[in-house]
Amino acid sequence: MTDSLILGLSSGSACLATCGMVMFPYLMAGSAGVKRIAIDLSLFLITRLAVYFVLATLSWYFGQALFSNTVVRNIVPGILYIIFAVMLVWYSIGKNRKPDCPAKIVKTVNNHRLVPILLGLVNSLGFCPALFIILTKGATQGTLVQSYIAFLAFFIGSSIWFLPLPLAGRIRKKEVLKNIGILATGLAGIIFMIKGLTNLIGGIING
Amino acid sequence: MDNALKTAVMRKSFGKSLLYTLPMILITFMFISGGKPNFSDPASGLAMLMVFLLVNVLYFLMHFTGKTDRLRAILFIIFAMSLSYTLIHNMLEVRKSMSFSEADILECKIPFCHLVIPMMILPAAFTKSIIFPGSIIGGFANISSMVVLWVVATIVLGRGFCSWGCFYGGWDDGFSRFTKRPVIKKISELWKLMPFAVLLMVILTAALTLMPTYCSWICPFKAVTEFEQVTSVESATKAGIFLSLFGGLVVVLPVMTKKRTQCSFLCPLGAINTLSNKITPFTVKIDKNSCSECYKCVDVCPLFALTREDIKSGKVSMFCSKCGKCVDACSKQAIHYGIRGIPAGTMKNFSRNLFLFVSFLFMAVFSAGSIINTFHGLLKLIF
Repeated sequence: MTDSLILGLSSGSACLATCGMVMFPYLMAGSAGVKRIAIDLSLFLITRLAVYFVLATLSWYFGQALFSNTVVRNIVPGILYIIFAVMLVWYSIGKNRKPDCPAKIVKTVNNHRLVPILLGLVNSLGFCPALFIILTKGATQGTLVQSYIAFLAFFIGSSIWFLPLPLAGRIRKKEVLKNIGILATGLAGIIFMIKGLTNLIGGIING
Repeated sequence: MDNALKTAVMRKSFGKSLLYTLPMILITFMFISGGKPNFSDPASGLAMLMVFLLVNVLYFLMHFTGKTDRLRAILFIIFAMSLSYTLIHNMLEVRKSMSFSEADILECKIPFCHLVIPMMILPAAFTKSIIFPGSIIGGFANISSMVVLWVVATIVLGRGFCSWGCFYGGWDDGFSRFTKRPVIKKISELWKLMPFAVLLMVILTAALTLMPTYCSWICPFKAVTEFEQVTSVESATKAGIFLSLFGGLVVVLPVMTKKRTQCSFLCPLGAINTLSNKITPFTVKIDKNSCSECYKCVDVCPLFALTREDIKSGKVSMFCSKCGKCVDACSKQAIHYGIRGIPAGTMKNFSRNLFLFVSFLFMAVFSAGSIINTFHGLLKLIF
């Protein structure tokens, strides 16, 4: 659970830094008071949580089907962790990083009530290396509940960063915070790379 | 004004330099000898005398030559190496090994270092416990004395701690002086923010796991101090990380870039010290009227603290560790030690004298114990 939370916390900061500034005006547009903001933010977060539970279920079922052998269960996820972790590190240090947030798609929607839900959907399905890692984790859990817990921890970690979203307009040095968030995501990638390596070596030794 | 003339402005006569060194002589004498020099063990007495002479000659030369950085670096590098020697020697004597066992952790026998401080804060606040398996009071490198020392030094010196007080900084400072010209010249400014990302990660992971994760997984200086016994794939991975980070960030990259890459790109405590630069009384200032914008200071800065934009705006960034390299390199004396509130270009000598006294005294007193230990060990080895 701890590593899922750490992954959520680290990638959440970068996610907020890149997507937060896009989402903020949409979440808050036309909102007169705190109540409206709270409702929009809650809808956004609930949608994300719902999508994550669906993904947790799907990844666990696929995991059960694909990783039935104990050795495969150690080696394949180890390789997947390494691949996705390298992608995450590459994302953080790569010069050709795509700066846009997928939530920009929602710009085309006119119905304000639908915006937080669509944002939640786009944000949680924005397939990034961090999500691939958590999908791998979900797939390797012993029970469905454990898979839910892993996704829940990832959700909590990444959602914490969205809570101060109403204050985003006041944050100075956004570029610096964004860069720190992206570098932290890279570090989370390294953590999972090490986890993948130890899984893989452990799997080979035990196999 | 050429470099020789500039140095002449900062340098003092022999008598005046000696006069400025007198308070340092008295204070270091008291600290090193405890007021009563004891020569019953000749090797120990000689080691004390050597350290006493070393620190005071270096301080005297700082005034006499008007130079700061190279003289500071001599003591700083000796400090780093002697601390590693002291730690290793202590461990070999007590445990007969550089690695520590589970029993050492359970008995809280691990020497504490200031790099653990950022990781202790959240767990201490939430669980009212210290997550590091070291001694709180008493014993070698105990937690309370190290925390107090770091807090005081950081409030007074800010990131100056990284060049005047850190007992690891001397390693990459030393390696960054190996070559005359850098092999790698262009490094992205973005990497300067890495210590903040590391700080964020180690604070989070330490709070979630209640473990000093930086020490357990990342610290490159484990390679020259103590580390966990290699008994599993995990501990072997850790040892691999320590050695590769030490080799990469402390040895190879400093040699290739002439920069202190471990301090610039990894150290989480450096990130806190950087922020503390905002409140410290001592700063490095740029006198825009004297500056010819030659950018020598930008090239020599070992911590990426100076950019061309900083020079144009007349402000040194908060990444500055006050090592004095830029001050020594400036042929116009446009960049100089200053005191907050006093305008740039004024009271240069007074500010330098005051800063040098405080920072050098801290380093001398802090380093004396381990350097004496090292000299003592070497003398015993020779004779």
